[in-house]
Amino acid sequence: MTLFDRVFGGSDYNYERTVAAIDKAIATYGEAEAVSFPDTAYSLPCYYGVTGEKITNLGEMKAAMATIKGMMTRNPRLQDAFDSGIASALCAEFLEALKYIHGATPYTEPELGHLSDAFVRNLGVPLVTGDIPGVAVIIGGAEDPAETVALAKSYQAQGILVTLTGDSIKHCFDAGMKLGENVRVVPLGYEMQSVIHVVSVAIRAALIFGNVTPGDFKSLAKYTMDRVKAFVNAYKPLSDEIVSYGAGAICLGFPVISNETENMFRVPKSLIQQLDTSKWNATSLEARDIKLKITNIDIPVAFATAFEGEIIRRGDMQVEVDGSRVDCFELVHTCDAAEVEDHKIEVVGPEIDEIPVGSKISLSYTVKVAGKAMQPDFESVMERKFHSYLNCIEGVMHTGQRDMIRIRISKADFEAGFKFRHIGEVLYAKIKSEFDAVVDKCEVTIVVDAEKNKELRAHANEVFAKRDDRLKSMTDESVPVYYTCIMCQAFSPSHVCIVTPERLGLCGAVSWLDAKATNELDPTGPCQVVPKDRCIDENLGRYEDVDEAVNKYSHGALEHVTLYSLFQDPMTSCGCFECICGVEPCSMGVVITCREHAGMTPLGMTFSEMASMTGGGVQTPGFMGHGKQFISSKKFLKAEGGLGRIVWMPKELKDQVRERLDASALELYGVENFTDMIADETICTDDPEQLLEYLSSVGHPVLSMEPFDM
Amino acid sequence: MKDWASLTTVEEMEAATNALLENGRKVGADSWQQRVKNQTPHCGFGEAGTCCRICSMGPCRITPKAPRGICGCDVHGIVARNYLRFTAGGAATHSDHGRAIMHTLYAAKEGGNYQVKDPEKLIRIAKEWGIETEGKDIYDLAHEMAETGLMEYGKPFGTQRFLKRAPEHTQQLWHDAEIEPRAIDREVSQSLHMTHMGCSSLPEALIRQSLRAGLSDGWGGSMMGTEFSDVLFGTPKPVDTTANLGVMEKDNVNIVVHGHDPSLSEMIVYYANDPEMIAYAKSMGAKGITISGVCCTSNEVAMRHGIPMAGNYLNQENVVLTGACEAIVVDVQCIFPALGPLSKCFHTKFITTSPIARMPDSEFIRFSEDTAGENAKAIVKLAIENFKNRKPELVNIPNLKQNARVGYSVEAIKKVLDGVANSQVDTFGTTKPLVECVHSGVIRGAVAMVGCNNPKVRPDSAHIGLMKKMLENDIIVIASGCAAQAAAKAGLMDPVNAKEYCGAGLKRVCELAGIPPVLHMGSCVDISRMMILASDIAKDWGINISQVPVVGCAPEWMSEKAVSIGNYVVATGIETFLGVDPYSKGSDEVTALLQGDHGIKDWVEAKFVVETDIEKLGDKMIACIEAKRAALGI
Repeated sequence: MTLFDRVFGGSDYNYERTVAAIDKAIATYGEAEAVSFPDTAYSLPCYYGVTGEKITNLGEMKAAMATIKGMMTRNPRLQDAFDSGIASALCAEFLEALKYIHGATPYTEPELGHLSDAFVRNLGVPLVTGDIPGVAVIIGGAEDPAETVALAKSYQAQGILVTLTGDSIKHCFDAGMKLGENVRVVPLGYEMQSVIHVVSVAIRAALIFGNVTPGDFKSLAKYTMDRVKAFVNAYKPLSDEIVSYGAGAICLGFPVISNETENMFRVPKSLIQQLDTSKWNATSLEARDIKLKITNIDIPVAFATAFEGEIIRRGDMQVEVDGSRVDCFELVHTCDAAEVEDHKIEVVGPEIDEIPVGSKISLSYTVKVAGKAMQPDFESVMERKFHSYLNCIEGVMHTGQRDMIRIRISKADFEAGFKFRHIGEVLYAKIKSEFDAVVDKCEVTIVVDAEKNKELRAHANEVFAKRDDRLKSMTDESVPVYYTCIMCQAFSPSHVCIVTPERLGLCGAVSWLDAKATNELDPTGPCQVVPKDRCIDENLGRYEDVDEAVNKYSHGALEHVTLYSLFQDPMTSCGCFECICGVEPCSMGVVITCREHAGMTPLGMTFSEMASMTGGGVQTPGFMGHGKQFISSKKFLKAEGGLGRIVWMPKELKDQVRERLDASALELYGVENFTDMIADETICTDDPEQLLEYLSSVGHPVLSMEPFDM
Repeated sequence: MKDWASLTTVEEMEAATNALLENGRKVGADSWQQRVKNQTPHCGFGEAGTCCRICSMGPCRITPKAPRGICGCDVHGIVARNYLRFTAGGAATHSDHGRAIMHTLYAAKEGGNYQVKDPEKLIRIAKEWGIETEGKDIYDLAHEMAETGLMEYGKPFGTQRFLKRAPEHTQQLWHDAEIEPRAIDREVSQSLHMTHMGCSSLPEALIRQSLRAGLSDGWGGSMMGTEFSDVLFGTPKPVDTTANLGVMEKDNVNIVVHGHDPSLSEMIVYYANDPEMIAYAKSMGAKGITISGVCCTSNEVAMRHGIPMAGNYLNQENVVLTGACEAIVVDVQCIFPALGPLSKCFHTKFITTSPIARMPDSEFIRFSEDTAGENAKAIVKLAIENFKNRKPELVNIPNLKQNARVGYSVEAIKKVLDGVANSQVDTFGTTKPLVECVHSGVIRGAVAMVGCNNPKVRPDSAHIGLMKKMLENDIIVIASGCAAQAAAKAGLMDPVNAKEYCGAGLKRVCELAGIPPVLHMGSCVDISRMMILASDIAKDWGINISQVPVVGCAPEWMSEKAVSIGNYVVATGIETFLGVDPYSKGSDEVTALLQGDHGIKDWVEAKFVVETDIEKLGDKMIACIEAKRAALGI
C-alpha cells in the first residue's frame, strides 16, 4: 500500500462516519439545530478558515459534506493526499462539533476539547517573543507510560506548548502531572479526532494574527508553515485515520515524527521515522527548525516559560513572602561600576532551611546593576520582568510588583534543594542575558530580616515615588520621540504599533520606556525611533513622521495612522491586544471588553467577536485594540472627546483601572467616581436600552457630548 | 489552472528574436532561420540514414528498387554504420575536450595561470584510482593524476577507471554485454574501423559498439572533463545568476564567451574583473565590462562564477544581432561558422582561439595553457577598444531577463539534501533524502533534460513545455547543456518563483530544500554528473539504476555529441526519450534494436523512445516513470 493510499483510506473512513453522524444528529434534532464550539467567533474554525464559509446548523453541515467530498480526489499526487488530509481534518472538526450539540458539555477533566479564542490570543505574544518556541502535538502514548510523561515534560521544560491526544492524556494524568492551559500541557481528548482542536488553534492564529482571508487556503497554509512552529509526535500504531490527519498536518507545514515502521514511509523534514523515542524532542526541534533560547541557570529545579502560569496552593507551599502583611519589595538600582561586584549573590538573614515550613516571611531583593549604557529609566523596565523571571522557576509563584509582591516557594522545590540564593541566580542570569547591551555588572542582595527590610522598604519607596513623578511628567508632549514596535510582525506581518508615553503597546507589554530600552539594546531591532517634528493635527495625533514610519514598517500596507482617534485612521492591532473598544451607537459611547471576559457586551458581541472585526494589521474605524493602561490615559479617544466616552466595561476590568481612570476623569471633566458611572455586566449585558437608562440615571458625561463624527 | 505569469514565454523570446532579425536585415545579415528555409526540404535518404558514402563506389542510397549497396550491404548495415559513426564523432569530441582539461591540469602550478582550486576533490579521485596521496605536493599529485588520466585515452589494456563508480549490477551488465569501454581513443578508432568499407554490417555488433563508444565518453572522457574541471576551477555550488539576452548591458563592454572548454573563459572572466581592465573600459567611455555566455562555456562559468547566460545554441547569432556585442570569443564545438560573416555586418570581433575550431572571417588568437593569462588579457583589451566602434542606431538588447540559481554538482546536491536530513536520524552526504521523497511519492521521479536546440523543433518550446509538464506532475528536472539554459531563460530556475509552477509535492521539496525545481547540473560534458547521481541514488536505494523512476530526455538535440550521450545514458540503464530521430528510421532492425523491448533493452535494461510529438513524448515519460513506480510497488 502506498503512503497516499493510506491517506485516502483514512479520509474515506472519516468521511463515511461523519456523514452517518450528521444524519443521526439531524434525525434527532432536525436540520435547523445550531452547531458551534463555545467561545469562538470563527465557527466552525477549520472549515471557515479553509473554505471561507461559516457553518451554523446541521443542515449547513450536511451540505458542507459535498464540498469535503469534492476535496477527496484520488490522483497519485501529493496535492490529492494533502487535500484528502485536510478533508479528513474537517470531518474530525464536524464530529467534534457534533459532540457539543444542544448545549452538551462533552469534555470533563482532564480532557479540554475545544480551545477558546482567548486561548489563541493569549498565545500571540509568547509565540512572537519565542517564550513559547513551538507547539508539540503528541498523539497516542508510548508502551511505557513513563516515556510519554518524560517526553511531555521535556517539551514543557523548554517552554514548548504541549497538546495531548489519546493515551498520552492518561499517561500524564495518572502520573500526577499538572495539566491545563496554565502549565502549557493541554489535554485535548482521548479520541484521535480531538487533535483537530489544536489544528483549530493554528488556523485561528492565521485568521487572527495573520489577517488571512478565510477561504484563502494558500495564504493560510503559508502562514501556518512559516509562522506556527508546530509539529506532531505520533506513537505507533498509526491507523489510516491518523495517517490522514498527518497528511493534513504536513500540508499546513507541521512535520510528523513517529516510531511506526509498518506500512510507513519517510519524507525529509515532514514524515520522520525515529525509532528511538527518547530522541523525539531533539529530532522534532531540528525538523521544525526550532531554536531554543538557551537559559542555563544553575538551580536545582527546572526553569522554563511553561511554568509561568503555575499555581502553588497553600498546602504545597514551603514558605510565603507576603508583601501585603510584612515588608517586602523588589528593586533595581543603578550604581557605578566600582560599587558592583559581578555575580555576587548575598543572602542576609536565614536561608530557607532555617525557616519553619508554612512561614510568611519578610524578604526583599535588590539588584544592583552597572553599565556604561545603563540609564535609570531602564530600572523599571527590568523590574517588571522579575515577575516573569521568578514565575518561570518550577515550583515558584510570584505576583505583584514593587513593595506589593507575593512569592510562594513549593515544598517540592525545598526538597529539591532550592534556596533563596537561587532567586538571586535566576535574576542575575536573566538580567545579564536579556540586558547584556546595557548591563556590564550585576549583583543581587536578598534580605530575609524584617527589621532591616522595614528600613530598606522606606528607601525603596522613595525611589518608586521619584520614578512615579518622572513617569507622571512624561507625556506625549514632553518626550522628544516616539517608538515603533513591530515585535508582532513575526506573527502579524503588516501591523505596526506606535508607542508613546501615554499610549503603550496594545498588548500591554511594551511601554514607551520599554520601547526605548529595546531600542538601546538592539538598535536595529523591533523598536525604532519615530521623530515627532512634523505634526499635522495635534488633536487627532496625526504626524507626517508617524505616517512615514507606519508606511515603512508595514511595508506599504498602511499609509496613515492617528494616535488619538477611533475613527480617523485608528491604530491597527496584531490580534494580541488586551482590550478592544467598539462604538455603541445608541449612547454615542464606546464599549470596552477584555480578553478575560467571555460574556456578551451591549454591542451584541463577545470579546472574540469584536476582536475578529480587527486585528492582523487592518484598520477598522470604530473598533480598536489597545492595552489596559491606555483606558485611563488622557489621550484615550482624545479626538472623540476622551475617556468620557466609555459607557460599558466588564466589572473586573473596571476594578483594575478604577483608580487611574477616576483621577483622569476628574482632571478632564471634573467628574468624581467616573468608573461607577460606567455600566458593566451586572447592570446590563446585551440590551442597549438598559444601558441608556443606566447612563441617564447616573448622569454619564457622554450624554452631553456631541455625536460621533462617523 | 496554474499562473505561469512570471515565466518568459517562447512567444516573447520569438518576438525578441524577430526584432533582432529586423536589426540584421538593416545591415544585410544572414540568419539560421533563412538558411533553414534554403535547406528545406532536407535529403530524405540522409534523414533516414540510408545513404552510404563510406567508400567511393557510391554514394549508395537504399530504395525498394535498390535494397542493397554496391558492396551488398543492406539498409540495416548502412543505418547502423552511420549511427555508429555519428556516435564516434560525439564520443571523440567530448573526450577530446576532457583530454584538453587533463593537459590543463598537467600545466597547473602554484601561482600559475591554472591552479588546483579543489584539492580535496583531487585527493578523493586519486584515492579512488589507487594513487598514493600521502605527503605529496598537491601539484605533484595533480601532474601524476593528469598523466594517469591521459593514459585512459590510450592505455593498451584494461577498461575505464571510472566504471567502478557504477553499481555492481550495472558493471556486470556492461561486462556481460561486452560493452565495457577500454581506452577512449581505442573505442573511437574501433568504431571507425568497424564502419570502414568491408568490416561490420551486422546491426547488433554496430549498435553494441555504439554503446561502448558512448560509454567511453560518458564514463571516460566526459567524466574526466567534468571531474578535473572541478579540480581546476572549483566544484560548482549553488550561485545566483541571470539568463536571457537582457543580461547584456547597453552601457558596458559586452564580451560573450561561447563554446565548451572552460579553460579560456575562466581566464577571460578573471581579467574582465581586473580593476585595471575596468578602468580601461571606463576610459573608453563604457561603464564597465559585462561577460555573458552562450552554450556550454556559458554553463561552465555560470555554474562556477554566476556569470549570466545570454542564451543557448540557437541564440548565438542573436548576441551579435544586438549590436552591443564587442566580442564573441569562442573555444570549441557548436560554433556557427556563420558568426564570421555576421560579425562583419556589425562592429563585433569574432575571436577564435582553438586550433580545433578555426573559421574564416575570425580573428585567431591562439590560446595555450602557458600564455593563457596574456591571451585572455589581450582579448579583453581588444573588446574594450572595440566599444567605440559601436553603431548606436543598431543597438537593440531585448528586455528579457530571468533570475536563476545554478551550480548543482552532485556534491552540491548532496549538500542541499543534507540540509533537509535530520541529524538525529539520518547519515549525511547521501542521496537518501531524495530517495525518500521519490519512494513516498512526494516526488514521482526525475527527468534528466539535456541537449541542444534544433530548428526542427520550435526553439526551446519542447524544453520548456516538457519541463512545465514534469513540474506540474511532481517530477523533478535535472538539466544540463542548452536544455538548462532554456529553463533559465524561461524562469524555471528562479529560486523564488519557479516552485509555484510545481505540483504540491515538488513545491514542498523546493521550499524545504531552498532549490528551484529545475536543477542546473552544468554543461553537456557534465551529463557525466548525472550518471554519478543516478549511480549513487541506486546504491543508496538498494535497487538497480533501471528500476529508479528516472528517465533521460533530449527533445531538441542536434549534435553527434548528443547521440554519444544518448548511448551512454541508455547503456547506464536510463530510458532515454528523444524528440528528434537519430537518422535511424530507415531500418526497422536498427529501430527495433534501439527502441524495441528486446534490443539493447535486453543488454542494459533501457532503450530509446523517439517521439516527435512533444506532448506525447511527455506523456510517455510520465507513463514510464509511473510504470517503474508500479513495478517497485510504490
